[in-house]
Formats: sequence, structure tokens, C-alpha cells
Amino acid sequence: MSRSSLWLSLIVLALPFTGVAFLLYETVGFDWSELNEAAWRASLAVTLYVTLTSTFLSLVIGTWLARTIYMRRSMWLASFLKWPMFVPHVAAAYLFYLLFSGGFPVYGLIEANERHHLVVILTYVWKEVPFVFLMVVGTYGQLNPGYLDMAKTLQLKPLEQFRVAEWPFLIKPLLDSFWVLVAFISFAYEVPALLGVTYPELLGVLAYERLTTGLFLNAFESYAVALAWTLFIFSGVIASYALTAKRRRRIERGVRR
Amino acid sequence: MSRLLVACFVVFPFAGLFLTFPTSPTWDEAILNTVAYVVAVALINVWLGIGTAWWLLFTESKWKAWVEWLTFLPLFIPVLASMFGMYIALAQVGLIGTYTGVGLVLLVTTLPYSIRLAYNAMYVIGRPLLEQSLTLAPLTRIGFVLFPLMKESVRTIVLFSTVIVLSQFVLVQLIGAGLVPTVTTRLYQAYGGNDVSLALQNTWVLVSLPVLFYIGLGAMFGIWIRLVKGRLQ
Repeated sequence: MSRSSLWLSLIVLALPFTGVAFLLYETVGFDWSELNEAAWRASLAVTLYVTLTSTFLSLVIGTWLARTIYMRRSMWLASFLKWPMFVPHVAAAYLFYLLFSGGFPVYGLIEANERHHLVVILTYVWKEVPFVFLMVVGTYGQLNPGYLDMAKTLQLKPLEQFRVAEWPFLIKPLLDSFWVLVAFISFAYEVPALLGVTYPELLGVLAYERLTTGLFLNAFESYAVALAWTLFIFSGVIASYALTAKRRRRIERGVRR
Repeated sequence: MSRLLVACFVVFPFAGLFLTFPTSPTWDEAILNTVAYVVAVALINVWLGIGTAWWLLFTESKWKAWVEWLTFLPLFIPVLASMFGMYIALAQVGLIGTYTGVGLVLLVTTLPYSIRLAYNAMYVIGRPLLEQSLTLAPLTRIGFVLFPLMKESVRTIVLFSTVIVLSQFVLVQLIGAGLVPTVTTRLYQAYGGNDVSLALQNTWVLVSLPVLFYIGLGAMFGIWIRLVKGRLQ
């Protein structure tokens, strides 16, 4: 049973890698200086801003909520947090669009389709906090309370307690979540296309539009950007996992002398 | 107090659903396609996710670490970026603009999450408990041991794959070459045409499908577990 499903899974999962290989093949001989254009540069800047802000906020709020809910056992809040998980990104984007597109005077401060992309960030935070919560709450469930008790006995300050008794165990789920979110948010279409502006556009939106307009004449630009971005994220993933490998292994296997 | 604020922030966007009266949905091709894709992708995800996780848990193979990375890495490839490449690849074999092509890429997007969820769940249940069932025939093992033990994980796998499938606009549009209508692609057209009632109707469908599947699956599991427990007496 498991062997046949393994093979099928491997065949299916080989597809994204095949996709990347095809991108490599298509971009052979591409003049990379074509990407040195104001639209792409602005897009890169706004993509980094939206991605890093949304990811950072989601990680901090998600971890804080997991900690609070675990410490105070507020199961009611945990069940509330599940709600956004039932809403597809595209539907969430439309709900935020309806609420922030100037229908209500109260929301004048933040508006959909403005160049600071605040509603895009808000939508991502709303959708991703439950994901981070889910990734982190399991770690809190397995955490040995003895570490925290010892930190308290040694009269460490609350921040120090967190740093020595909780943080080392959070590295792995937070690192996983960070890269999943960065890969997802940085090159997406649905949410920023609905809530963003026409200039500067996020990378995914600009790449898709360049790909599909004008009879695929600009397709190679989009392929090149998709490839470069994938390789950039890949190197980030490999570097960060390699850098934390020793610490993570120590946490997983325990300290050996 | 802060917890109350968080709860308000979580619930507040749902107010958007009640802003205008949505037009009542009709059972058309887009909804039919969407439901068919959701059901098919969810079923295959449960099957392949649990099967692959089972292999990862019990294998002594020297390839285990490689397979683990291969199942984990696609999570870090931006879906849209690899989709551009898959578009070229699938065009070579004539799968662009077909239902199979769209189904395949929807599976590619959801499967890495399902394998991870299933593997984590099995890891928590533990090898010793699952080893007890190794002597059983596959179907008995799945029906009487795996499903009852992994009830919540199966529900989460179905929820994740449903929500991800329902989120895809570009993927369906690009790989389906605009020939495969789903509720999501229709939401975009309704939005483009500024028809709030129609867009809201599609949003209602997108939000209620995962809820219905989650509740329905919960009820089915409840009945099944009661039947399985009946065997204990």
C-alpha cells in the first residue's frame, strides 16, 4: 500500500522540480539586463516590504497567541482562531476589499488599493496567524515545563526566561513557517491583484501580467524572474537550515557530552 | 482584554459577507467543477498523504532522508513560479486547457502539506501503536486503526486541500487556458465587472464549502468510530 502511494507521490512532487528545470532551459541565453527596468525594481522593493512585514507580524502574533493560549488554557480563543483557516485566500481578499474599499467612513485611514499595501498586509496577517499558531502550539504542547520552572527558580527576567526555556524549541517551527510564508506571499497573485495598486505591483502580479499580455512576447522576462526568485528562496532555505543545523540537532537529540 | 481584541479581529472580516444580499447560487458548471475538484483532490491527498507518511515512518531505506527532503522542499518553491515552468512542461504533453492538467497541478500544490500533516500525526501517535496493525490487511488497517486514530488529521488534510484548491485563480486560469470555469475564476470576473452581489454569492460558496466538508466529515467519522467501538463489546 505505502510503496505504491510513495511512488505516485514522488511522481507528483517531481513536477514542481520539472517546472524549475523547464524554467532553466527557457532562460538559457536570456539577456538578464532586460530585468533592470524601473517596474521590476519597484516591484522587488514592494514585494520585500509586503512579504517581510506580513511574515514577521504573523510569526510574532502567532507565537504570542500560541504561548498565551497554552499558558492560560483559553480554549475558546483557540477555537476562534480556526475560523480564518476555513476561508480561501481569494475569498479573504474579497472580504477585506469589501470592508476597506471606502464603503465606511471609519476606515478612511486604511484603504484597499493604496500604495502602502496595508490591507494586503492585513489580509495576509489575518490568514497566516492561525497557520503559525498551529505550527507553534504543538511545540508548546510538548515543551517540558521543567525548563521554565528552572529559569524562574534562577530568577531570570521574563525575556530571559523566554530566551533560554522556550526560544531554542521554537527555532524549528518558526524557521519552517518563515520560509513557507515567504515562498507563498512573495510570489502570489490573488490577494495583491485584488487589493494592491497598478504601480508598483508585487512580483507575482507583474510576472503573471507580463506573461499573459501581448501574446506571450514578454514571457521570457516572467520566466527569468520566476526562476531567479525560486533560486533566491532556495538558497535562503539552504543557508538558514545549514546555519541552524547544529542547534536544531542538539534540541532534537538532547545535549551529549 | 487583549484576547477579546484578538477574537474581534478574527471575526470582524466576516462582516463583509453580510454587506449586500448575495444572488442565490445556481447549480452550474463552475460549482460542479469546483466540487468535483475539491472532492477528488481531497481524496487523493488523504490516500497519498497517509501512504507516503506510513512509508516514511516505517522504512529502513537509506533513501529516507532524501525522500523526506523531496516531499518537504516543494513547500518552499513559490507555487506561481513553479507553475510557469509546469505550464511549459505540461504544454509539451498537451495537458494545457484540460481538466486533467488542472487537477494535476492542484494536486501538486496540496500534496506536500498533506504528507507533512499525516507524518506529524503518525509521529505523535507513535510507531509502537501503529506497529500493532502491521499484520492486518491494508483495508482493515485503514478502516479500523488508521482512520479512527487519525480522525482529526484526516479532517485537517481535507480542510487544507479544500481551502488551497478554492484559493487558486491563476493556476486554474493558466493551466486551464480559461476553459475550466470554477467558482474562484468566476469571482474574479464578477469582481472585474463590479457586480458585488454576484461576487458575494461566489464568496459565500468559497467560505461555506470548507465548513460543510469539515462538519460533514466530522459527522461521518463520528458514526464510523461508534460502529468500530461497537466491535469492542
